[in-house]
Amino acid sequence: MAANKKAQQLARQLFKLSIVDGAISAERVSGVLGYIEKTQPAHQLTVLKSYHRFVAAELAKSQAIVEHAGAVSASILQTIAASMTKKYGRTITASTRANPKLLAGLRVRVGDDVYESSVSGQLGALAASV
Amino acid sequence: MLTSLFLAVAEAHDAVAGASEPGLVEKFGIDWHYVLFQGISFLILFGVLYKFFIKPTTSAMEVRQQKIESGLKYAEDMKVQLAKAQQETAALIKTAQLDSNKIIEEARKTAKDFADKIQKEASERANDQFAKAQQAIELEHKKMLADARTEIARLVVTTTERVLAKKLTEADRASYNETAAKELTNV
Repeated sequence: MAANKKAQQLARQLFKLSIVDGAISAERVSGVLGYIEKTQPAHQLTVLKSYHRFVAAELAKSQAIVEHAGAVSASILQTIAASMTKKYGRTITASTRANPKLLAGLRVRVGDDVYESSVSGQLGALAASV
Repeated sequence: MLTSLFLAVAEAHDAVAGASEPGLVEKFGIDWHYVLFQGISFLILFGVLYKFFIKPTTSAMEVRQQKIESGLKYAEDMKVQLAKAQQETAALIKTAQLDSNKIIEEARKTAKDFADKIQKEASERANDQFAKAQQAIELEHKKMLADARTEIARLVVTTTERVLAKKLTEADRASYNETAAKELTNV
C-alpha cells in the first residue's frame, strides 16, 4: 500500500515535469518515458499507469469532444473551441464524435464538464420533469 | 308408746279425781341418777359423733361449697371473658369486614382503572396502526402514480425518439446543430 502511494507520488512529480506553460509538452513526455525506461523505478507499471492517467486527464481538459447527430460544420467546431478556450482560459481544441442517439444537437465534453443541447437531452429532461 | 302414755295420763287423771295418790315422778319411776347417767352418755356420744362424723362432714361440705363457689365464680369470669371475647371478635370481624370491603372496593377501582388504561392503549394503538396503514396506502398510491407517470413519460419519450429518428432529415439536424452551437457558446 505504501509502495503504491510512493509510485503515485513519483507519477505526479513526473506529470508536473511534463507541463510547460500550462500545457502538456510532447518533448517532456518523451523525456519522462525515456527516464522511466532507463532507470526502471520500483513498481514501474504502477508509475506508468498513474502517469498515463494524469496525462490523459490533462489532455482531456484541453480538448473539447463534440458529440453530434447530423452534420457539423468546421465553423461550428471553431466557434465551440474558441468559446471553450475563452471560458477555461487555456487553449482547447475541438474534435468530433458521431452519436446518433442524440437525434439532433450537440454534446460537448471538456474534461469532466459536459454541455449539451440535443433533442435527446430535452426529451430526457421532459421525462424527468413529468 | 303414745298409747301407753295416754293410758298413763288417763289413770293419773282418775287418781287425781279419786283421792290422794302418789306423785307423777314416783308413778313413772324416774330415777335422777339414771337421768344423769343418760345425759352424760348422750354428751359422750354426741362428742364422739361430732368429732368423727359431724365435723369432717361439715368440713367436707364447706370445702365442697368453696369449690362450688370458686367454680361458679370461675364460670362467671369465663362467661364475662367469653362475652368480652365475643364482643372483641365481633368488633374484629366488623373491622375485618370493613377492611375487606375497602380492599375489594380498591381492587375493583384498580381493576377498572387498569381495564380503562388497557382499553385506551389498545384504542390508541389501533388508531396509530390505522393511521400508519392509511399513510402506507397513500404512499403506495403516490408511488404507483409516480411509477405510472414515469413509465408513460418513458414510453412517450421512446416513441418520440423513434419517430424523430425516422422523420428528422439531415437538413433538420444541421439546422438544429447550428442552433445548439449558438446556445452552447453563449453558456
